[in-house]
Amino acid sequence: MRRPRSLTRAIDCYLQGDLLTMKTDTPIRSDSALAAEFWEKGKSESCPIYDMHGHMGPFHSIYFPRCQPEAMAHSMDIAGVKLLCFAHHASLFVPELGNRPAIEAVLAFPDHFRAYVSINPHYPETIRKDIADYGRNSEVFVGLKFLADYHQVPISDDRYREALEFAQERSLPILIHTWRGSPCDGPEQVRKIAERYSKPKFLLAHSLCDDWDAATQLVKDFPNIYLELTAVVARRGVIPYFVQRIGSERLFFGTDLPWFDEHFYIGAVLSADITDDDRHNIFHRNAQKLLGL
Amino acid sequence: MDFFDANCFFGLPAIKMLKPCPTAGDLVSAMDRAGIGKALCWHVAQRDYCDVVGNKLLAEAIKPYSDRLYGCWSIVPPQTGEMPKPPALIDAMLDANIRALRAFVLPRKFVLGVPAFGDLFDLMFERQIPLFLPIIGQGGAGWQGAYDLLRDFPNLTCVICNCGDWGPDMLFRPLLEAYPNVYFEISEYTLDGGIEAFVKDYGASRLLFGTGFPAFEHGGPMLSIKHAEISEEDKCAIASKNLEQLLDWE
Repeated sequence: MRRPRSLTRAIDCYLQGDLLTMKTDTPIRSDSALAAEFWEKGKSESCPIYDMHGHMGPFHSIYFPRCQPEAMAHSMDIAGVKLLCFAHHASLFVPELGNRPAIEAVLAFPDHFRAYVSINPHYPETIRKDIADYGRNSEVFVGLKFLADYHQVPISDDRYREALEFAQERSLPILIHTWRGSPCDGPEQVRKIAERYSKPKFLLAHSLCDDWDAATQLVKDFPNIYLELTAVVARRGVIPYFVQRIGSERLFFGTDLPWFDEHFYIGAVLSADITDDDRHNIFHRNAQKLLGL
Repeated sequence: MDFFDANCFFGLPAIKMLKPCPTAGDLVSAMDRAGIGKALCWHVAQRDYCDVVGNKLLAEAIKPYSDRLYGCWSIVPPQTGEMPKPPALIDAMLDANIRALRAFVLPRKFVLGVPAFGDLFDLMFERQIPLFLPIIGQGGAGWQGAYDLLRDFPNLTCVICNCGDWGPDMLFRPLLEAYPNVYFEISEYTLDGGIEAFVKDYGASRLLFGTGFPAFEHGGPMLSIKHAEISEEDKCAIASKNLEQLLDWE
């Protein structure tokens, strides 16, 4: 099968009087300096990535080639990811281990990681202890993580109250797994807690996946709600939809690393019909502001 | 590095999507913006309305772009006479620049098995015509469907596509190891280190660049391949050469 050559295409374009639409040398998109830099180097000096939604460690049914801290740090380095804020899988699913694995990982790689305190609503004693210890681990933790769909307790349930009150007191970020139609962490649940707690910074992980209208409405209604883009960023049209409705200052980049490849998601943001200024906001400025960096 | 997209579509879907790609011309424009040279594509009407009508729409639409767009028809059992029976089908494919077939399984009322497709799949094996099999999402066969198909047709050249992005390795790797002609398309394969692990364990020859455009952005899989920690030769194979060879069955 003949392959058309780039010279053939160039001649075709010339004959059609359409020199301006010839492909440029920068794949993904030719109107973005960031796309050019990431294409050439894999990362950007001017645009470090802050990944606000990560995990760590193995998980059932999923093969992770890179789920231990050292391997994850390597993945981050080749993509220019300056910081990953994560919730360790063990912290979320193994109450007897609690948040210890996360603390150990951050202390071993302080230049790469910060952690969320994983909140399991079934273990109130652990929540109390973790809250009490939060100050002692101020170099480790940046906020809290709720995984209500998996723990099967709605985020408005009283079992989250102590954690929410703690976050209210300290204006902490809370990364909340959210999903369209979920009885545990869908839009109605988010609205309930946002009405009660004005100080935590609620990062809606997955941006209420597939309920984009509800997600943007919540951002409009509550100044302390933000959208985090893990698992939605590659869906064409979602980021421009968000930017058009709420701007780019309340959008956060996230990948669920080690689940998803940093370059895959960076490439998706580069493809989206937004400006490089928006990309800077999403990739790092919003996170730097949130974390006080 | 040339890019040849193994899995993209155009046409207005029955269920509105945020950013459809209405025409073949729109697809080519988007490919130009992204730097993708060629694509194997299908028409959304094949999935949402009727395979046979959608196949016709596809063939008509890609005619003006024969050096950029190659078609992927979808199949229904030939017993009802709506599609040509196997030898005639191949001739029709060649006439229309259709280089592969695909199967939208659920919620169709047919079984992708020997009674319906035995003759066709035998011919496809003989001619090495690939069958693209989406797994997850609208029209997907599901993993059990893929396992059943390959159990019945172990030598079929089958491209597993639309695998879903939540860690499918434990599902597709057994198929790669059991069946020598299974390929894997990466539009939804977003695992960190996944490309490197695949190449380390199986080589690069059965991995295909695909985007799922316009459901997904072009840039994700492109940047993943570009900066995967594999050889440049392997990158080029995945980005285009593997698909070129796969479709070169004439």
